[in-house]
Amino acid sequence: MEYLDSLTGFRLDGRRPNDMRQIRGEIGVVAKADGSALFEMGNTKVIAAVYGPREVQNKSQQINNQALVRCEYSMANFSTGDRARRPKGDRRSTEISLVIRQTMEACILTHLMPRSQIDIFVQVLQADGGTRSACINAATLALADAGVPMCDIVTSCSAGYLSSTPLLDLNYIEDSAGGPDVTVGILAKMDKVTLLQVYFRSGLDS
Amino acid sequence: KRHRPLRRSSICFASLLCSYAINPQETLTSEMNAETSDAPPTSLVDRTVVPGDTVLDLTAMANQTIKLGAGLRQDCDTISVMKAGKLRLSKPNKYWVESSHKRYVPCVEDTVLGIVVDCKPDNFLVDIKAPTLAFLPVLAFEGGTRRNIPKFEIGTLLYVRVVKANNSMNPELSCMDETGKAAEFGQLKDGYMFETSTGLSRMLLSSPTCPVLEALGKKLSYEIAVGLNGRVWVSYYHS
Repeated sequence: MEYLDSLTGFRLDGRRPNDMRQIRGEIGVVAKADGSALFEMGNTKVIAAVYGPREVQNKSQQINNQALVRCEYSMANFSTGDRARRPKGDRRSTEISLVIRQTMEACILTHLMPRSQIDIFVQVLQADGGTRSACINAATLALADAGVPMCDIVTSCSAGYLSSTPLLDLNYIEDSAGGPDVTVGILAKMDKVTLLQVYFRSGLDS
Repeated sequence: KRHRPLRRSSICFASLLCSYAINPQETLTSEMNAETSDAPPTSLVDRTVVPGDTVLDLTAMANQTIKLGAGLRQDCDTISVMKAGKLRLSKPNKYWVESSHKRYVPCVEDTVLGIVVDCKPDNFLVDIKAPTLAFLPVLAFEGGTRRNIPKFEIGTLLYVRVVKANNSMNPELSCMDETGKAAEFGQLKDGYMFETSTGLSRMLLSSPTCPVLEALGKKLSYEIAVGLNGRVWVSYYHS
C-alpha cells in the first residue's frame, strides 16, 4: 500500500510527511472533576479528568513525603470502528496507564503535597492513532486546569517511518502499517524528554 | 468586575499548548509574547502565564529581594510558574499568580467553610477541600474545656479559621479569633451551602462590597458566609 504518494509527496490523508493533524483543546469540560480537558488530534478524541490533590483513600498507599499519582487509561466501547467490548484491565490499557502516570509524575511537583492523592482518568472517545500522545496532552491540560503545581507542561506526539520517509503524527492506518513508531513526550519549556517509546515488530527474515 | 478571569486564560492556555506543539519557534513570537527567558522582568505582569514560564531571571538582578507568592517557585537562578493564571506584581517586589481552581491551598489566617468528616478524641477531622484533611482541636472554641466539647455529627458545616498550614502537616483550624473570642465562627445551621471556585469566593469577599451581594441585600435580608476554599453558605430570614 502506498503510504506516501511518490508524485505529490502527500500522505493518505493529504498531509505532508512532517505535518501534524489539526489539534484542538478545551478545558473545564467535566463539571464534577477538579480539572478536565478534551483534546483532539485529528480524529483522535480524548477526555481527561483530574481529581485532587485530595486525601488518600487507601492509607496503605500513602507516601509520606510526596503526593501519590494514580492514572487510569481506558477506551470507550465506541472509540474504534467496531463497537467492541473492552475489558478495562487488559494489558494494553494497563501499560498505557503506567506510561501516562510516569510521564505526568515527572512534571507534577509531588513534594509540595505530601500524603495526598491525585487521580488522572483518561478516556479515549474516538481512536485514530496517537491515542497515547493525545492522552498525555489532555492530562497536562487537565492538571493545569485543576491547579496542580507543575514544573512544566508536557507535550507529546508520535512519529513513524513508512515508504522510507519519517512521518509525523501517525493516524490509525499508518500506525497499523507495520513500520516502527515512536512516541515522545517533552517538557515544553525545559526542553527535556520525559517519555520515549518505540514499537517495532519485525519478522525473522527481514 | 463581573468577569471570570480564568475562562479567558483557560482558552489562552489551551491554545498556547496547541500552538507550542505545532511549532515551538512560532510560539515565541505569538501574540502571547511571553516565553523569552531574557525578557525584562515586568513583561509578563498582568498577563496569563502557564506552568514552566520563566518570570524572572535572577542573574540579571543582583542584590534585590523578591517576594514570591502563590504559584511561583525558584528553580536555581530563575523564577518559574507552577500554576496557570494571571501574574500579578505588587510594587515594589511581590510577585504572585492569581488563579482560580476548585481545590484550595491552605494559608494561615484564611477563613474557610469545613465539613466534619470524623470525630477523634482530640480533634475533629474536617474537609476543607485541601490536599489533606484538617484538624480542629476539640478545645479550640471559646470557653472550651474537656467538659463542654461540642458534639458535631459527620456532615456538619463549620465556619473556621486556619491556624497552621504547611505542606508537611495536616492544616489546623480554630473556631476562635486571635483574641480567643468566638466571633462568628462555629456551626452554620440551616441555610444552603454550595461549592464554587476559589476565584469566585475571593470576588465575593472583595472590597468594595461585591455588587451581587448588595443587589441581593436590597431585596432580601439574608446571611452569607463565604469560605476562601470555594464554599459559600447562605441563609434567608423570613421577616
